[in-house]
Amino acid sequence: MGGFLPPAERRSSALLGLYAALSLLLLLVGDRLPQGGLRGVGAWVFAPFDRVVLTLDRAAAAWRDNQQLHQRIAELEIENSRLRIAGTENQMLREQLGLRTFRNLALKPVEVLALAGEPVPSAATLSAGTHQGVHEGDVVVTRDGLLGRVGESYPGLSRAVLLTDLNSAVACEVESTGVLGVLRFTTTPIPRLVLTGVPLSDTVRVGELVVTSGYSKRYPRGLPVGRIRAVGRDPTGLVYDLEIEPAARLSRIRHAFVISHAVAPEEAP
Amino acid sequence: MRHIGAFLTLVVVTLLLRSTALSALAARGVMLDVLAFAVAIWALRRGESWGSTCGFLLGLAADLDAAHWLGRHALALALMGYAVGRLGRTLVRDSARTQLVVLFVCTLLHQAWVSAFSFGGAAGALGTLLRVVVSAAVTAPVGTLILAIVRRLTGHPLFGHASLDSKSSA
Repeated sequence: MGGFLPPAERRSSALLGLYAALSLLLLLVGDRLPQGGLRGVGAWVFAPFDRVVLTLDRAAAAWRDNQQLHQRIAELEIENSRLRIAGTENQMLREQLGLRTFRNLALKPVEVLALAGEPVPSAATLSAGTHQGVHEGDVVVTRDGLLGRVGESYPGLSRAVLLTDLNSAVACEVESTGVLGVLRFTTTPIPRLVLTGVPLSDTVRVGELVVTSGYSKRYPRGLPVGRIRAVGRDPTGLVYDLEIEPAARLSRIRHAFVISHAVAPEEAP
Repeated sequence: MRHIGAFLTLVVVTLLLRSTALSALAARGVMLDVLAFAVAIWALRRGESWGSTCGFLLGLAADLDAAHWLGRHALALALMGYAVGRLGRTLVRDSARTQLVVLFVCTLLHQAWVSAFSFGGAAGALGTLLRVVVSAAVTAPVGTLILAIVRRLTGHPLFGHASLDSKSSA
């Protein structure tokens, strides 16, 4: 058949055959290939371009953010003084009751250079890597709540796996009631975060805050994850499926904070 | 050499757009398929060899970015680039209607193929179908509008005439 075609068409057909064969091969064995290095090279190549695009974007938003932040600082200063008193009181009470006290988490600010994944972002490229003390497994948060954790770390960059990754699972609890569940991301019937495994005997209400639980091996307890948007049942009808509205705005992330060694070995269950 | 420069620029700009501005839009539920758009336009302009090459390389970059199912974008976009490139010889490529239809079909097929990998059964079929159709319905007019603006700015046809091209290639 190829002999009947002109040389240019034979060449393009052969090229297509090569590409199709390579793609099929990658589909079959791609998961077994070490992709981390290739993605690292890609991130390194695109980091300067991403920075230029984001600089323009950030310059436009800086003025508005500045005004909002001034107002927020004033509000937080008032709130902070109240919380400091409450914190001291809480610390004293926990010591008297013999409960483990909370440790302060050191936040390392990083820039979010790029987002990847569809239909919603499932990974983010961060501007800090091993040279800046960011390592695999570190927790990534925004001022609003939990974002994910560092999945891959390179010398000057790292890649965070967001809560919206299909393989992500976070042990959570409803803040007000302590109801436990596992937060997962699902694409069916629509892309959304779902708190799974909540027994029907537990009482949950729309709007309640969901935080990371003490059972998590990867995340410290008490990080805001989101609020319950809708209460439903899973297909088996045995447990609740709670749709969660994420606390961190995944559509618009410019800055984030990395918490290194978020869970101390003695704290991990 | 000029083609290679333009091609590399297209790849970089497409991937940048996808990971920045369009990623934020996608999170709000508006999915502009810039990969299908770039491959279709490049294939219409340069023919099937460049079309399939552009599709394969852009798809591979997108696959590496997504971290799951390496090769799914590469295969679909390479085939799409080839098909559009071949089809482009017989089409009036500078017609807005042609561009609209080509972009709609390309986006629809690409999104359907990509969605098939995360298809979770009959329960999510309607949502997935809606997402695919909306994506195609948004990308096609936006893409056609962009091409019309570029054509107006440059002041000359972007793709040339199909019959003239086939005569010159023959």
